[in-house]
Amino acid sequence: MVHSGAMSGSPLRPERLDQSAFRLLVEGVIDYAIFMLDPGGHIVSWNAGAERIKGYRAEEILGRHFSVFYPPEDIATDKPGRELEAAIADGRLEDEGWRLRADGTRFWANVVITALFDPDGQLRGFGKVTRDMTERRRTEQALLERHRLVSHLVEAQELERRRIAWDVHDDSIQAMVAVGMRLQLLSAALPEEHRAAVDRLDGTVRDTVDRLRLLVFRLRPPELDQLGLVRALERYLGDIVPRWGLAYTVHDLLEREPVGDTAITIFRIFQEALANVGKHARASTVEVSLSTVDNGTLVDVSDNGRGGAVIGHRRPGTEHFGMIEMRERAETAGGWWTAGDRPGGGTSVRYWLPFTTPRPEHP
Amino acid sequence: MKPPLRVLICDDDTLIGEALHDVLTAEPDLAVVAVAQTAADAITLAKQHAPDVAVLDVRMPGGGGMHIAREIRRLSPTTRLMAFSAHVDGAAVDEMRRAGVLEYLVKGATNADIVATVRRVGRT
Repeated sequence: MVHSGAMSGSPLRPERLDQSAFRLLVEGVIDYAIFMLDPGGHIVSWNAGAERIKGYRAEEILGRHFSVFYPPEDIATDKPGRELEAAIADGRLEDEGWRLRADGTRFWANVVITALFDPDGQLRGFGKVTRDMTERRRTEQALLERHRLVSHLVEAQELERRRIAWDVHDDSIQAMVAVGMRLQLLSAALPEEHRAAVDRLDGTVRDTVDRLRLLVFRLRPPELDQLGLVRALERYLGDIVPRWGLAYTVHDLLEREPVGDTAITIFRIFQEALANVGKHARASTVEVSLSTVDNGTLVDVSDNGRGGAVIGHRRPGTEHFGMIEMRERAETAGGWWTAGDRPGGGTSVRYWLPFTTPRPEHP
Repeated sequence: MKPPLRVLICDDDTLIGEALHDVLTAEPDLAVVAVAQTAADAITLAKQHAPDVAVLDVRMPGGGGMHIAREIRRLSPTTRLMAFSAHVDGAAVDEMRRAGVLEYLVKGATNADIVATVRRVGRT
């Protein structure tokens, strides 16, 4: 007997699979609710997945109308009836939405209803496959929420930077300039032998003003909207690295240029990495490379300096603030950041940030 | 000896205004007629004193340096204008020049530069 043969441990072969074996398969599936409706929408079969997902045992649900799975707001608009009509018209209907379990709680369902016709074209009923997508939906929503929060965070950080830039520009720099002017007045009024000390002090004040101006420059918003990321990086490099006697190259291997707060985050991490090169590396060149990798942007900032600039990074607790800031920015945006010595000497900072918006449609 | 150049200082930052006052009055050929801290004061004091030189900040409460420059030129046509500003960007410089400012000095310039610039603007 074919039926008992299939069940008694001998291998399953296509020609041996009869309807009852196939029914066992359907009944045993627990990841999907698979059941059938008669032409009027009443439930005529039930499987283990349906019991697990919807919470009804077969004897509780067989014979009832499938609209019992729909929440009141869908009943009010006769969604169950409309779905059956659509399945009859198109052969098949797919929908995602809230459905009710036996205990009245809701789950987010992916539903496929297939109209089943006999060879004469008579409607025999419907096959219905339902998947519980609640967990996936929760994950998707958590991701969306995370993007929203990161976006707010970046916006708040940028606003704060702008405020600090204005404060430094309008207050700290002005005060230091006034101090410098008074020191020069004092120097002019002093006997020759005391002038050098005051002049040195004035020189220090002058350097401080220069440093504060550089700080304002670094704090100000990058012109990403007007220039795009790569050109904004190039302009910033051109403005800032000549001060450190550095040459620079930019390799633009991007297939897609990041925008919005992802671009801002990339720019701010880049600034910090570059500041480290300027402060610590004793390098003569800095190379910046940007590429599109794994649905995100990979940035590499490498110098040919003395290396070891990131030694602190390897010992927990001794990271300097810039390192922590870079890594936190990258990780908050869902990416990663790393730094290390280059094999040929120098230091390399690499970081990757995912795209947060879908690829724009090409016309 | 020529009479001293009469200078009006317009800067909302008290520390800068006072320091500038002291730097300029230390020169025997320069006299500060007033220090204005707002746009409205700057315009009123320029009209009242008709100074030889007005030293303007680019941003002032109640109106920017451009507005002040235009008003002073209208109300006191003999007053010559120079900017003394913390704004180092080219756009600010161009705007002030278009408003009739003859020289643009960035804050942080030495006292000697400031004094020389005031003389150049006032005597030419």
